[in-house]
Amino acid sequence: MNKRVQAWALIVAMTAFFTGPSRAEEDVSLLKDMTSVIALLGLPCGQVVSVKRLGDNDHIASCQDGNRYRVFLNPEGRVVAQKQ
Amino acid sequence: MSDSSVESRAEEKLMPVTRIFELLFVLLLTASCVWMERKPPQTGAPEGEAVAVEPSMSRPAGQSVPKTDSPDAKTLAKVSASPVPAEQTRKKENATPGLGKPGVPPLDLTALETRLKETKAIGVFTKITLKNQVDDLLDQFRAYYQGRSKISLAELRQSYDMLLLKVLSLLQDGDPSLARMVVASREAIWGILADPAKFATL
Repeated sequence: MNKRVQAWALIVAMTAFFTGPSRAEEDVSLLKDMTSVIALLGLPCGQVVSVKRLGDNDHIASCQDGNRYRVFLNPEGRVVAQKQ
Repeated sequence: MSDSSVESRAEEKLMPVTRIFELLFVLLLTASCVWMERKPPQTGAPEGEAVAVEPSMSRPAGQSVPKTDSPDAKTLAKVSASPVPAEQTRKKENATPGLGKPGVPPLDLTALETRLKETKAIGVFTKITLKNQVDDLLDQFRAYYQGRSKISLAELRQSYDMLLLKVLSLLQDGDPSLARMVVASREAIWGILADPAKFATL
């Protein structure tokens, strides 16, 4: 019984160890992506500090300077950043 | 003494050894993760190497970029030597202004496009935004050649340089070899854009 508990503890620890960083990496890359998009569109922002996913290709990005933008892909295939 | 008590004693003796193995395993995993994080992204370029972007406004249109003996030139040659479908080859033939001239690296638009699409240094939304801006610039060129626009070629050059700088700023940290490839192709691409006959083949 003791061995089983140990084995499970190891499995849980390993899972947390491997899935944790990849999730964080994904979040960081999305923040960078949103920061780049807003900068490319010439809008004031600084860095994006948080992103809320509204749907597929539709996000709300909150900036360091307090600005918030809805960044989405319109039907024409253009990325649009709408100030909220 | 019963068999079970002998077994449990043996287990007790082995317990510290198994703990050491577990600890070693976790340490090895941590070390491998740290090593993976330290690994430079996708390229053979030295870490922290900066990409020099020279101002090109003073250079006349169509003038070639001087040849370098950098490893990039070899990479470019390798990429150019890779097999491509017939249609792409035809496109490539149209888009090789420097080919045949000594000291001019060959421009492979298809390879450049593929690498830009595949690079992980730029996020998906950023890639789409960049593509939108490239399309806008191409529309401006089209309007210029059709006489529908008041924008001059110098202004178009400025827009082109600005767009290229944006691409380079996005690439220089995450994919320096691709950034150098873009820098090397800068004048060759401008050579195509600034020539109405070549532009029409795009």
